[in-house]
Amino acid sequence: MAGLIGNIFLSGAFVASIAAMIGYALSASGYKNTDSKKIERISNWFWGFKGIFLLIASGILIHLLVTHQFQYFYVWNYTSLDLETQYLYSAFYGGQEGSFMLWIIFSFIVGLGLIRWTRKPYRAPVMFVMALTQVFLLSMVVGWDLIVAQIGASPFRTIAQEMPNAPFIQANPDFTPSDGTGLNDLLKSPWMMIHPPIIFVGFAMMTVPFAFAIASLWTRTYHDWIRPALPWTLAANLSLLTAIFLGGYWAYETLSFGGYCAWDPVENASLVPWLIGTAGIHAMIIQRKSSRAHKASIFLAILAYVGIVYQTFLTRSGVLAEQSVHSFVDLGLYGQLLLFILVMVALGIGSYLYRYRELPSPEKESKILSREFMTFTGSMLLLILGLVIILGTSSPIIGRFFVDNPTPPEIAFYNQWSMPIAIIMAIATVIGQHLFWKRYTWESLAGVLIVPLLLTSIATVLSIILGDVRNIGYMIFIFAAWFAVFGNGRVIFDLLKKRPKLIGGALNHVGFGVLLLGVIASSVYTEPLLDQRTASYNARVAQGEVFDEEGFPVTQPIEMFELDLNSPKLINERWMVTYEGYELSDSPRLGMQTYKIKFEPVNGGSPFYMKPEVYPMLTTSTRDNIEWSVDPHVRTGLFSDIYLYVAGSRYVEKENERVEQRNTMQPVAGNPETESRQSIEIKQGEMVTSGNFNFTFRNFVPASEESVPDNTQIGIRALIHVEHEATGRAFEVEPLFAVYTDDGRSYTYSPPLEIEEWDLEVTFTRVLPEDDSIELTVDGLDYEFEEDWILVVAEIKPFVSVVWLGTFLLMAGFSVSLLRHWAREKKAGEDYESKP
Amino acid sequence: MKPKLIIGIVSIVFFTSLLMYNFGNSISTYVNFIDAEDRPTAHVVGVWDDSQAYGFSRETMQFSFHMKDQDGNVRRVVYPRPKPNNFEQATQLVVIGEMRNNVFHANDMLMKCPSKYNDPSQLEQLSSAN
Repeated sequence: MAGLIGNIFLSGAFVASIAAMIGYALSASGYKNTDSKKIERISNWFWGFKGIFLLIASGILIHLLVTHQFQYFYVWNYTSLDLETQYLYSAFYGGQEGSFMLWIIFSFIVGLGLIRWTRKPYRAPVMFVMALTQVFLLSMVVGWDLIVAQIGASPFRTIAQEMPNAPFIQANPDFTPSDGTGLNDLLKSPWMMIHPPIIFVGFAMMTVPFAFAIASLWTRTYHDWIRPALPWTLAANLSLLTAIFLGGYWAYETLSFGGYCAWDPVENASLVPWLIGTAGIHAMIIQRKSSRAHKASIFLAILAYVGIVYQTFLTRSGVLAEQSVHSFVDLGLYGQLLLFILVMVALGIGSYLYRYRELPSPEKESKILSREFMTFTGSMLLLILGLVIILGTSSPIIGRFFVDNPTPPEIAFYNQWSMPIAIIMAIATVIGQHLFWKRYTWESLAGVLIVPLLLTSIATVLSIILGDVRNIGYMIFIFAAWFAVFGNGRVIFDLLKKRPKLIGGALNHVGFGVLLLGVIASSVYTEPLLDQRTASYNARVAQGEVFDEEGFPVTQPIEMFELDLNSPKLINERWMVTYEGYELSDSPRLGMQTYKIKFEPVNGGSPFYMKPEVYPMLTTSTRDNIEWSVDPHVRTGLFSDIYLYVAGSRYVEKENERVEQRNTMQPVAGNPETESRQSIEIKQGEMVTSGNFNFTFRNFVPASEESVPDNTQIGIRALIHVEHEATGRAFEVEPLFAVYTDDGRSYTYSPPLEIEEWDLEVTFTRVLPEDDSIELTVDGLDYEFEEDWILVVAEIKPFVSVVWLGTFLLMAGFSVSLLRHWAREKKAGEDYESKP
Repeated sequence: MKPKLIIGIVSIVFFTSLLMYNFGNSISTYVNFIDAEDRPTAHVVGVWDDSQAYGFSRETMQFSFHMKDQDGNVRRVVYPRPKPNNFEQATQLVVIGEMRNNVFHANDMLMKCPSKYNDPSQLEQLSSAN
């Protein structure tokens, strides 16, 4: 029932956005006559209704999720009864349908801002474009089942609608599962709650420059649009940057991708629009300052949004399903997504070409040493980098021109292209920033750059020596990055004295330099942590001295090491590393092990612990097969991070064996005789190790009369402390030993005591007075005793902190520029309103 | 035509062809085990052959298993890392590496995991349990 209402509201929102779109189009095409104002006001009402309907539908979906209505496919597919409340809410955007809805909601709010702040003549055409994108996005979730085609996939469809042919549905159409399949374990992370919304805020705001560019082409006013569009573009870029940062940090810290950037198609999906958006910002700034580059800024504003739609298409249509960790599933939206991208391209590029001849072009070419030329160069470099990445991600489509069945490009492809582009960019930023504020000739520019160049050279030489850099390409890269830091630093230094509010741009460019330094240090100079034996083995592999059993040279180094319980190993000649056992717990995840690994620096310094986790994935594990997932531990430091996870352990191996045995042994009834039994002789106060356990005989305890049989002559208990060596968990048991007489004969009575957690039975079988000890019999010890061990994969990554610092500087720079442009735009708005 | 425009066009053409050349070289095609023998590195798609022994050896520090490629050739694959988490569940494997003496040495391995969507088997278990 609630689902039906939800569907009605979604359809209402869809229809309202179509009405708004038509209204805005009518109003825009006749904006000089008086009716258009009225039509526009009605369209605003439609826009508002659409938003209200959408919010109600979202509220219903959240209600269904929170109240566990598993007859709905979306609820069943993404949540379960044991899901924590905060993840029930974030499951709203855990699937494709919900994430579309979130995107639409943010676009709606952005639209309200546009209605409030945009001036004539742009308001109606801008809102038309906004409404058009809304129509497309809403069509993805509206779920209309027309006879010719299915439009969209509704989040409110029931399981019966999703799988009408499943036999259990045909037997019982009202079938409601008792529990859902649950949110993917990897998504149960606090990052999940903030990362997606910020991305969609960015996507929604990036629609604004696109809408303004179309509006400027429509109204043939090619200059003024950038004033209102620029703050929106800056804000969109700031949120995309924040989202990329959060996603990168999430990937680095909790998902074991092994790095903050893996050139994954979905990560590229937010990176490319950011790059193109930044290119657009450069072009807009030239246009604002010098009335040039109209063509470029309109083109890039269109391209940034087309980039978003294209990457949405790639990641959501199922084209990339095999290449990405973000496995979006094909919802049958391929056709609709294709139509979306085609219409956006046709509208954007089509109207651009249609008006191309009218677009203003500068009377004379810019000199090379002018701020226009340099800023434009920056813009083009960003665009080229964006295009290279698009090409790489599009390999399943474009690669078909080269080979059948194309694979994704090697990582080297991205690196080989992005490195030289970044080097040119870094140098261009310094020249560009200087020219931006003052005129220079080559001579005077060289004059002011002497100090930064000197500092750059010193820093580069130091980096090369300290970092033992051998590769000439990296040397140039490091030089360019330091140059960007010091050169732009000089600009900040100058500006702080005179106009501190204007440092946004220079701050960004310093941040860019810092980011490059961090990227090169942390990605190229990452080293695996290894014990000495593995390290010398790898050295021999590198020299081609190791051969396998068939006589072929081994080429692959080993990048992991093993630790036995409580036996320290020297790692990377820097730390004594000791595995001190693990703890089992059921919170926050069922069956989670937390391993305790101690690092003691060899040359002084305080020891620290790394505590990686391993847990069974609840959503995909079954009774017959446990799938384990690892949660790495990252120790963040100023100079380097240590990244470590447990790739295997005795516990995990035993659990797997147990499951496998249960699978294979089940038909044969268990044979208890194979169980191991061991006798332990132990003195008072002594500790004896047997199997995985330490037994300590503390003292004798008198047995109470109720617990012993009649006619007991001796009744005594022994207080035994049993400790599991690996986990340190301990129990105390008091097994009984009694001698009693019956019919004149003596019997012993010693019932076994069970320690349930370990399937262990302890029996006090004998007293040995001659050497002051007792005999215990223990059942359930592992027959083949094996020392507890873990397999560790760890890396040391230098200067990851610098990557984050660079990102923060970029965010700060964008924020400063955003505030400045926003304040100016607001003032312009007030001036406009105060005019009659 | 202005000389600047010509320089621009030439450099765009040069840049694009260099990019496409490089791109064409950096992608390769999926092959079977037989063709992989002639290549320095190869991408092979296939499925895990679970009829033979597999597992991680703590002596050689390698994970080894048998894989059947799309044309039905079965080869042993060694991978110098621990067994990936979701190995047994994968419906398809992609191994990237080289073939040496009938053993495929994988440097990298990708797993395609079964889509739990549109898969009614889980629901059937549920409904039979009810």
